[in-house]
Amino acid sequence: MISEIDVRSVLSRSVCEFHSDLVTRSTGRAVRGGIEAHLEEHPDVTMVVLDFSAVRVLDCSCADEVIAQLLLRHASGDVPRPAYFLVRGLHETHAEQIDDVLRRHGLALVAAERGGAMRLLGSFTELMRTAWERLAAHGAAAAEELASDLAWSLEDARRALDELAGRRLVMRASERYLPLPAA
Amino acid sequence: MTSLVEVPPSLDDRSFEQFAAGFAAVAAEGRVLVDAHACEWASPFGLVALLCAGQALMERGAKPLLTVPAEREVAAYWARTGFFRHAETLFEIHGVVPRVKPAPETTVLLDVTPVRVAGDVHTIVDRIQERAAAILTAELGLDAKATVGFGMALSEACQNIVEHAGTGGWVAVHAYTWRRRLGKRVVVIAVADAGVGFRQSLEASQAALYGERWGDGRALEVAFIHGVSRFRDPGRGQGLRGIRRWADRWGGKVSIRSGTARIGMVPPWDEDVVLKEALPMFPGAQLQILIPAATPEAQ
Repeated sequence: MISEIDVRSVLSRSVCEFHSDLVTRSTGRAVRGGIEAHLEEHPDVTMVVLDFSAVRVLDCSCADEVIAQLLLRHASGDVPRPAYFLVRGLHETHAEQIDDVLRRHGLALVAAERGGAMRLLGSFTELMRTAWERLAAHGAAAAEELASDLAWSLEDARRALDELAGRRLVMRASERYLPLPAA
Repeated sequence: MTSLVEVPPSLDDRSFEQFAAGFAAVAAEGRVLVDAHACEWASPFGLVALLCAGQALMERGAKPLLTVPAEREVAAYWARTGFFRHAETLFEIHGVVPRVKPAPETTVLLDVTPVRVAGDVHTIVDRIQERAAAILTAELGLDAKATVGFGMALSEACQNIVEHAGTGGWVAVHAYTWRRRLGKRVVVIAVADAGVGFRQSLEASQAALYGERWGDGRALEVAFIHGVSRFRDPGRGQGLRGIRRWADRWGGKVSIRSGTARIGMVPPWDEDVVLKEALPMFPGAQLQILIPAATPEAQ
């Protein structure tokens, strides 16, 4: 099940109903707590779309607390059912902030900017980026199809797709790899 | 005995060194008179740094004295920025503080405002973001993208106080025409505290790595250039990087003074040095972000 979370609404509930700015670490911790509480209440959620459309200001500290720490917890095995995450409605400046904090932690995330363009943010190899862009543009593929499309060795294609799947940037269903739905 | 520290006629981040030299030279005991009677202009950096001086002197035990600028217009401007509201708690004020209305929003985007806890940062960003957006685009001719990063830079600058200073501080944001140096409108964010400073904040984790080379200059370098913070979490120390990136994109200048050193990201239009050491000792940390207009002001 996909759950869409309006981050501005979580901010209102967790910190103050009048705030529309994601600033300070303490605010970031409170917002992350709100997102985690939502996921605990809905254990059937496998994919989370975090919607930043109504967020005005996002600072680096808050981006680190909300997004990087959330991904770290889901990547570390601390969470019984790790989810797939996608961020949506990012202003270009927000995307830069998130990209920077993810790189510092060696993390990556799929993002949909306000114009609708999809991109990977954070830290990833060139092979991963190329493979992800192929899936995002043309849909699901098996390693053999990707290798054929991109004139890669099967080993390279499989390695790139397995890394993407391992970092929850694409989904794997049997032998096929699927891009995350933008919802 | 009362020691005298003169405020230069024009007090900004550069001439502040003259003030800091006087401050560093005063005796550890006895009262101090901060003499601003001849001051004709002060940048937001100058105003918040004066408050830091007041706090540091008061913590020595004796409430310092402050003379109000003799020029009524100058004193009135300082009053409109909210400076005296805070100075009254730190200094014994000598001279007439004019009663004035708040400054027009096109000049003082944010009056002198205390920063103590994270909630203050929220309030500050909330108060200023809309006004800043209007000024950055309409007056400075910057792309609307600049306004999103403005709140980020302001927030990160203020959070340095909350997270690292060990005491409160102040922030002020003004827009004015910098005729002498640039001939352009500029927006200036000034954030200052009289807290522990960068060297002490980073000492436990960094001093041993640098041995005898450790000092205020190295501490500023590791924090400002390398993004190191006193916390071991790699997610920490990103705020100053974010500020640098934003200011760089819009042709701005960022400088931080702490203890006996000052470091900066110097744009091509400025001839300042990146790192200056062996400056007069001044407590805490003082940060300035200056963003110039995209085009010269119409004459």
